Amino acid sequence: MSFEIPIGPQHPIHVEPLMLRLTVEGELIVDVDVDVSYIHKGIEKALETRPYIQGLYLVERICGICNAAHSLCYCLNIEQLLGKEAPPRAKYLRIIVEELSRIHSHLLWLGHYFHTLGFETLFMYFWRDRERVMDMLELITGNRVITSYNTIGGVRRDLAPEAEQNLRRALDYIEERMRYYEKVIDSEPTILARTQGVGILKPEDAVKMGAVGPHLRASRIKHDIRLDDPYSGHDEVPFNVVTWDTCDCYARIKVRVREVYECVNMIRYALDHIPSGDYRLKIPSFFKTPPGESLARVEAPRGELVHYSISDGGEKPYRYRVRTPTLANLLSVTEMLRSRGDYEVYIADVPAILGGIDPCICCSARIVITDEARRRRMTMTLDDIIRLSRERRVEKR
Amino acid sequence: MIEMILATIFFPGVIFVLAVSLFYEWIDRKLYARFQNRIGPHLTGPFGLFQPIADLIKLLSKEDIVPMAADRLLFTLTPMLAPALMLFACMFLPIAGPSGVLSFEGDLIVVIALLSLYTITVYLAGEGSNNRFASIGAVRASLQLIGYEIPLTLSLLSAAVAAGSLSIRGIVEVQAEKGLWLIAGIQLIGFMIFVIASQAEMEKIPFDIPEAEQEIVSGWEVEYGGRRLALFRLSKDLELFLLSGLGAAIFLGGPLGPVIPGLEPILYVIYFLLKSIIVLAIFTLIRALFARLRIDQMVSFSWRYLMPPAMILMILTEVIV
Repeated sequence: MSFEIPIGPQHPIHVEPLMLRLTVEGELIVDVDVDVSYIHKGIEKALETRPYIQGLYLVERICGICNAAHSLCYCLNIEQLLGKEAPPRAKYLRIIVEELSRIHSHLLWLGHYFHTLGFETLFMYFWRDRERVMDMLELITGNRVITSYNTIGGVRRDLAPEAEQNLRRALDYIEERMRYYEKVIDSEPTILARTQGVGILKPEDAVKMGAVGPHLRASRIKHDIRLDDPYSGHDEVPFNVVTWDTCDCYARIKVRVREVYECVNMIRYALDHIPSGDYRLKIPSFFKTPPGESLARVEAPRGELVHYSISDGGEKPYRYRVRTPTLANLLSVTEMLRSRGDYEVYIADVPAILGGIDPCICCSARIVITDEARRRRMTMTLDDIIRLSRERRVEKR
Repeated sequence: MIEMILATIFFPGVIFVLAVSLFYEWIDRKLYARFQNRIGPHLTGPFGLFQPIADLIKLLSKEDIVPMAADRLLFTLTPMLAPALMLFACMFLPIAGPSGVLSFEGDLIVVIALLSLYTITVYLAGEGSNNRFASIGAVRASLQLIGYEIPLTLSLLSAAVAAGSLSIRGIVEVQAEKGLWLIAGIQLIGFMIFVIASQAEMEKIPFDIPEAEQEIVSGWEVEYGGRRLALFRLSKDLELFLLSGLGAAIFLGGPLGPVIPGLEPILYVIYFLLKSIIVLAIFTLIRALFARLRIDQMVSFSWRYLMPPAMILMILTEVIV
């Protein structure tokens, strides 16, 4: 006998509205259906109504955790349209903040992941150490969460010498703690039992399903935008692309833990070799861009982030489009959640597998409605949605 | 007669047990928080001591809802049955002397039976609320019972065999005569098995599978709210007290200790509480150290690593005695 279990849109594993309709037989999952369209913020449409400099603040609010990646991607995009490039010092500062926020994102993910596995203690420890990174972000950028550091043509503030000393001490602390946590993760039998061999995604499937970021690298594929398409001086800063062979949830933990070491080393290198000079170009607050289109890619903590914009020569974008990493990764979740043959997925594995992609649903919802029964497909704009909601409200009365 | 009634109601009966079990919840929460580098409850009363009772009163005052799909009888009966069962079992604990409020030959078996009945109540509570998550939680609870019940029973029974008595009073008295707690010796293995199996009985990490919040939204108790939930939470506190008290009584000599003549009644209570708090601290430590197992892993763990030692212990105890 099979019956359906709804995981979401409200569920304790995930604070964001994601719907997984699981068809289960006993504890085994046989089928799954994903729906992300419970939240639509209309940010892309709102960007079209704002001057470029105001759009910067809006873009950062697509995702609180990877805000540095979003603002960096936006700035790269607009700089491309303008045909300008940030000065070398700004590039290094951007790397420092980007990697710091990657450490913060990975620590957050690791803590939350162990929380989903029921390991509350490790959750508390990871989040305690993450506070140190948040303090460093505040020290460098002036803000704890939404950093507002990147700006079109550079960064907003220079790095103070005393901040550098503090940052180095914090990096030592984080590295030491991570070595301890890695030891815990490798030696704790309950963690190994819950993650090894769970949620296997073969490399060919991962590519086929369009997975990105640490999730893809955990499936043995060496893919990193920082390496493939160096966008902010990444060709000058050496780093290793971490991959892992086992392709399961354990690999996803290991990849992220090892990436924290890489981030620490990258920041140290950047601090050692940071060039002197200006940290931003002088660009007026309101400006027009030449007509054209541009696309920028950034390796956000969760994976490849793509921003695309079209300019018609005005001071606002004509069209702006964002593809967040979670949207790319969600497809592979359906693949991993289906039991087939020897590969069995239990209800208890759902948090482990879904958590493994580091989902951030609020960034992902972009409405495209596909009506299979009527064979039509339509994309809705904010105005359509507002009109539709008004009509519905009238109907209900 | 009047003394008996007073003992049942006040000390060491219902009121005392309820107060102590709420105090134990506070210790559990506070220790768990300290293990996790948090502060824990600290606002209500000195050091947050009254937090459990504040939570209980708050829940009792909430709106009472019975879902339309739920079985009304089971939905009402099980929240009353669960604390009643646990309270009844607590009456056998030797709190203020070698024997509890109730004591007869074979009461250890009654306590074990009450513990199993509690799990069956949990199963009925889950199925009675007619919710998908609750059903899964209920099935998991009964499946888990297959795993831990036999090792738990065997560990307690080996202690009974070693003491040559099936009553808790008898086991405590044998420890007093020998001047040696049962844990000193081969029954140490029994104590370890008891602690692990109790963790499963209490549905705590790593065996909080029936109510796994992140998987099935607190499982069998998902539909219960208000005073029904309050009663279930109370029954969990009572269970915590019962199992830590049972561990202290059977393996750590219960209320025994160096006695100053004339002060026995007070000292007995203090020794019993101290020893059971040690057992409670072990429970809490285990809770802080592990991730949650999957239900199949839990059952195979019990049959692979709990059952064989429990069997061997039983045989060895039999041979030695």
